[in-house]
Amino acid sequence: MKFAHLADCHIGSWRDPLLADLNIKAFERAIDISIQENLDFVIIAGDLFNTSLPSLDYLKKATKKLKQLKDSSIPCYLIPGSHDFSPSGKTMLDVLEHAGLCINVAKGEEVEGKLKLNFTIDKKTGVKITGLLGKKGGLEKNYYAALLREPLEQEPGYKIFLFHSLLTELKPKELEKSDSQPMSLLPKNFDYYAGGHPHFIFSEKIENYGIISYPGPIFPNSFKELEDLQHGGFYIIEGNNAEWVPIKLYDVVNIRIDVGHKTVEQVESLLKKKIEENDFNNKVVAIRMKGILESGKPSDINFREFYNKLKEKGAYVILKNSSALTSREFEDIKIEVSNTNKLENSLIEEQISKGDLQDIDAFEFTKYLIKVLDTSKQEGERAYDFEKRIKEEIDRMVN
Amino acid sequence: MKGLIISGEFGKIIARQKSEQSLEIGELLIGKAENNNVLLQVTDLMYGSQISQQNLELISGMRLEEDSSIDFYDENIRNYKLAVLKSLLSIKEKKAQLCKELPKFLSEIREIRKEDLKFITEPKNPLKIGKLRSGSKLLDVDIALPGEKVFSHHILIPATTGRGKSNLTANMLWNCIDKSYCGILVLDPHDEYYGRNKPGLKEHMKKENVIYYTANQPPPGAKTLKINLQSIKPHHFNGVTNFSSPQKQAMSMYYKRYGKKWIESLIMDKSLDENTKFFQDGTMAVVKRKLLSLLDLDWNGRQLFYNGIFCLDKGEAIISDICTELENSNTVIVDTSSFAGEIEILIGSLISTEILRKYKHYKLTGNLTQKPVINIILEEAPRVLGKEVLEKGSNIFATIAREGRKFKVGLTAITQLPSLIPRQILANMNTKIILGLEMSPERQAIIDSASQDLSADSRAIASLDTGEAIITSNFSRFATPIKIPLFEELVKQKKKQEPTKNSFSGISLS
Repeated sequence: MKFAHLADCHIGSWRDPLLADLNIKAFERAIDISIQENLDFVIIAGDLFNTSLPSLDYLKKATKKLKQLKDSSIPCYLIPGSHDFSPSGKTMLDVLEHAGLCINVAKGEEVEGKLKLNFTIDKKTGVKITGLLGKKGGLEKNYYAALLREPLEQEPGYKIFLFHSLLTELKPKELEKSDSQPMSLLPKNFDYYAGGHPHFIFSEKIENYGIISYPGPIFPNSFKELEDLQHGGFYIIEGNNAEWVPIKLYDVVNIRIDVGHKTVEQVESLLKKKIEENDFNNKVVAIRMKGILESGKPSDINFREFYNKLKEKGAYVILKNSSALTSREFEDIKIEVSNTNKLENSLIEEQISKGDLQDIDAFEFTKYLIKVLDTSKQEGERAYDFEKRIKEEIDRMVN
Repeated sequence: MKGLIISGEFGKIIARQKSEQSLEIGELLIGKAENNNVLLQVTDLMYGSQISQQNLELISGMRLEEDSSIDFYDENIRNYKLAVLKSLLSIKEKKAQLCKELPKFLSEIREIRKEDLKFITEPKNPLKIGKLRSGSKLLDVDIALPGEKVFSHHILIPATTGRGKSNLTANMLWNCIDKSYCGILVLDPHDEYYGRNKPGLKEHMKKENVIYYTANQPPPGAKTLKINLQSIKPHHFNGVTNFSSPQKQAMSMYYKRYGKKWIESLIMDKSLDENTKFFQDGTMAVVKRKLLSLLDLDWNGRQLFYNGIFCLDKGEAIISDICTELENSNTVIVDTSSFAGEIEILIGSLISTEILRKYKHYKLTGNLTQKPVINIILEEAPRVLGKEVLEKGSNIFATIAREGRKFKVGLTAITQLPSLIPRQILANMNTKIILGLEMSPERQAIIDSASQDLSADSRAIASLDTGEAIITSNFSRFATPIKIPLFEELVKQKKKQEPTKNSFSGISLS
């Protein structure tokens, strides 16, 4: 018996079309490998899609791949994750299941207020599969609390449990603030626990349980994941051996610059040097900048120029993260206020005292400007008319 | 009427008991002063008689030896009992203040009634301990302390074995589970509070606020206690086990050199820099051996094996998780029943250090007022707060006992031997809930450090029955006698709510 364990595909998660494309390609690659390896079945431990109702483009591609899997007589068993779960049941997974492309194994019955999970038996191997979905904010713990464990734990045969939760005991330091569930909530005596949700790679045999695995995402899902993981992957399990198979579509190059004690010019020169020194052909480039600029503002750095240079050197995708990049010109304002109106007034006064709007009645001007810009489009009003109305208001104010 | 005040002095008033009445040690009575009532308490009892001692001995001899039946003329008037009373408070309607006057001479004393106790009002964030007791009689008056203050100013629970320490602690915890003003850490060496196989805190309606860590077959919902070695710093061993100064210095040097990986580096014999390599091989060998034994590790010369709760690949966030759970006003129970005392203290030290550090930071940033008070329940407290231990060096628990209240972190120290705890720490424990203590030196240690004058109460403390207690606190008006309910009864009384219907949306139910 040989099967694949995927999780956190998050199809449709990236806004950038190139990265979104890489994401779906990673999924396609995983399915291709599963077919090539002639696996008995594929399991997906939640978050196949990034939302319960994904966009048609990605849905079409994912469906096509699941159809290929089905045509190769490889069944796909899955559970909804916190992203593709919908309390109403209106999820695309439901549609795919009705089309016979996958089987949601989170099935059961209610017995005196408790949840009795049923097993889905893989016809070819006789493997018994069941699992519990994942919900946002770790709310699936209520399902675990109401779970009838005994029938699950006493069921004979090779058993797989799919879950979509971060287990407290395995939580790494960087996820210490994330919701997690204790391992004791999982029913014992399963052979394989296919986990999803946290994006890290882990597989270990745990006493009284079995092999507990997290394959991580099939493609990094955020800037940080691109930096740290570089690429995604999944597990292929054969007997007691779980082998992690990387899906490497493009190399990722990290450029990290600490701008502390540097001027804009120095930062630009450093960036230029790094671009000149490295090979970026067909690579995903992740530029992270952090620190406080000695002089100038972050917007003074000519990123456009570097972006073009990287493109010229053949970079496939360029990502920039400057959330931790600040300038000395920005300072924290600490104001103690009891309501939003007072807070707004205090912030305006604070800014006016620093600026050069002393000649006009800056406070009233700002308040009025905020009021004008706060106007929302009226019912039946066309976008053109709405914009025109706002412009006229501002013109009147300025004049 | 229970009797008449006949003589005495302030703090030692003598009253004659009315013949058909009975008075008990610890009983609360009401006497009359000029414009107010005086709350009195019986501290001692004795016999009195109008007949001289010589005649009494003669009469008793005749009854014993001659079997003659001699009746006293007006026996009830000639022979009687005397009670020594202590005045506690002056009560005027709903107000009470410390008593500075004597009740009227030859005035009546009567039994206390519920309406006399109108001055006992529920404080802010009440921590219910039990019901008011008068001798062995129970009054329908709940005694509650201001929980937030009491928890941050430390509590001491001294008692001989079997007098109800665990029952009292379980009651206090039960009453705190659904309160947002406190988070409580329980280091449970007997695994008795969660109620793995018996009624316990897991029965509470807000059981989701009870978080249970155990290394021993965690029941569903409990968390496995696994602590990452990298969470441990050299100072966490203070008060845990005896390391000599050179050994401590070697550990610190490894921490400076290797940071979080200091323990594995030390065990694996990784070298220190040439400049700092001035420890003898013998010292290093002892430190290594002690760490291996204490942390239950094995080293075969190539690989490190983890046999106990300390490991390298799991439990990275556990200390941080526990602190967050405490900050979210949960009751966190850490089952330490399967560990040696040293491990239990090390775990307590890791968590307590982190929580105090965090709360110090909150004070610095001005956020402390929004945080709940944290209390750490520590059984057999002299292990870390004892004179002998502290003479070898301070530890985090002693630090909390001294300065924790400024940062809203308090201790509840439970012990059979309060005399082993230094006086300055005992004095810092502003609330003492005294259960039965037979041993005189132990009673004396408590009396000497009590918030109220208990100099006349030694006998009352010795005669406390199971479940009976005296609360002496900066936050109570007088040393209050109470009766603590049986925890099992409390669990039984749990309101039987309609079972909430579970919703399993997203699961295909057949």
